[in-house]
Amino acid sequence: MMRKVAIVGAGMTSFVRRALETPKELSYQATKVTLDSCGLTLDDVDCIAHGTAPDAFDGLHQNGEYMVDGCGGWNKPTMRVYVGGGTGIHAVVHGWHHVASGLFDTCLVVCEEKMSSALPHAQAFFLTIFDSITERPLEPNLLWIFALEMNRYMERYGYTKEDMALVAVKNKQNGLKHPASQFSEKVTVEDVVNSEMMAYPVSRLDVSPVSDGAAAVLLASERVARRLTDKPVWIEGVGWSLDTAYWATRDLYYPRYTDTAARMAYDMAGIREPDKEIHVAEPYDPFDYKALHHLEGLQLSPRGKTVELLRDGHFDIDGNLPMCPSGGLLGVGNPIAAAGTMKVCELFWQLRGEAGQRQVPGNPRRGVAQSWGDLMQVSSVVVVGN
Amino acid sequence: MGILERNSRNIDNRCWNPGIKAFPVKNVYTAGVAGQRFFEELKENGKIYGSKCEKCGLTYVPARIYCEKCFDHLLEKDWVDVGIEGTIYSYTLVCKTKSGGPKEKPSIMAAIRIADGLLIHRLGDCREEELEIGRPVKAEFKPKQDRTGSIEDIMHFKPL
Repeated sequence: MMRKVAIVGAGMTSFVRRALETPKELSYQATKVTLDSCGLTLDDVDCIAHGTAPDAFDGLHQNGEYMVDGCGGWNKPTMRVYVGGGTGIHAVVHGWHHVASGLFDTCLVVCEEKMSSALPHAQAFFLTIFDSITERPLEPNLLWIFALEMNRYMERYGYTKEDMALVAVKNKQNGLKHPASQFSEKVTVEDVVNSEMMAYPVSRLDVSPVSDGAAAVLLASERVARRLTDKPVWIEGVGWSLDTAYWATRDLYYPRYTDTAARMAYDMAGIREPDKEIHVAEPYDPFDYKALHHLEGLQLSPRGKTVELLRDGHFDIDGNLPMCPSGGLLGVGNPIAAAGTMKVCELFWQLRGEAGQRQVPGNPRRGVAQSWGDLMQVSSVVVVGN
Repeated sequence: MGILERNSRNIDNRCWNPGIKAFPVKNVYTAGVAGQRFFEELKENGKIYGSKCEKCGLTYVPARIYCEKCFDHLLEKDWVDVGIEGTIYSYTLVCKTKSGGPKEKPSIMAAIRIADGLLIHRLGDCREEELEIGRPVKAEFKPKQDRTGSIEDIMHFKPL
């Protein structure tokens, strides 16, 4: 019998291009503000679920063990998960297991990424995630691998670069209101389309930046949550799925890994019509097209109709289904693992009515957050409600 | 709160630089059971091989020793010569080096559909107006004496 699990606290650091703080110090800061947010101390924490994405950024193999004290893990049961960009929400799913199983009453979920220590550029480190024999000799990086996906997605539905840029403009606009955002400038569709070409069709402003940062949430069993707060946010469903890392059977225009993970989470949450029952969505948006791709996989928009809905304002903060009110990775920043957890923090604040200037109107009661990663093959999904 | 103030102090960051020292370890990779044969065929015969799962009706390119869907073991009899032609499934013009700097001339990379597989490779001898999803392409091999049993024994794919 699974127990109910609530989020009772959340916190994050600013997302910045180059932090003075070490990975452990970033984790410490996110962990500390999260504990403070619900009035707890480390003594109240039973266990830790933490995540960082590729070890390569820090140049430290077994980074999880290194990070442990910064995450509050000293002398506590601690486990790290690690699924690339999917890590930030996967770690929340992982923490959910710890509490839902009945093994622990509280679990601190902490995700951190420091990308700035990777030189000449964090992107170059992704070379080592590809097949060492068939792909690595061609020097792949994620920019051009995703450019292949973006091109295929656009071609499939006849979308243009201007269509994709709408997402970057909207999310960056939302992000301007986020106090932890790395950005301070508004951008237009023209800015995005005319920004420097990285790998056609991907221009610089189609992509989220390289960032340093950390984010955390505190999970609690129902018994503990009811004592701590009168506004618990319940984790109603979790899902995750990995597609193959082998190219042969991929279509590139539909993220079936997201589809599988979302259906798992919706089933658990008893959601039958996600596009009607979800009030706020935080799909993973490291690239602008990816937000649309993922909305389709999350069953929040019919395939090939997403740009139409976007143009109609359906996904605006005051639209029918606000998408990335936080600003997302495009608008807040993308310290990889931390970015996913930031999305869960956002839903926590949105559902409690604590999102300040970013607050989605109409008291949203249910939200979904999703992250994506590895070799464009993994999705982790969390559905929360109050 | 200190956390929100940090942005302004980034300029003070110190950096620890260990100097340029060779990383003292390296990896040596094997091509694998399927890969050994796949690359031998590329090198010796200029052929591209896939393996067909009869049960699922799927031909994997490059060849492999198992079907990831039904988990059947793909055997000698399942190897198929899939020819050296395919179609552009998607493409990109890479404008940055792997260090993030500008590239003198963009390289054209593509996902190439061959049988049911996708092979990631370069496009070469190709005009920009020929870049089109769905266009047929053909593998151009290095001269036999220059081949080493690598994916780069195929120089590039060329539009037909």
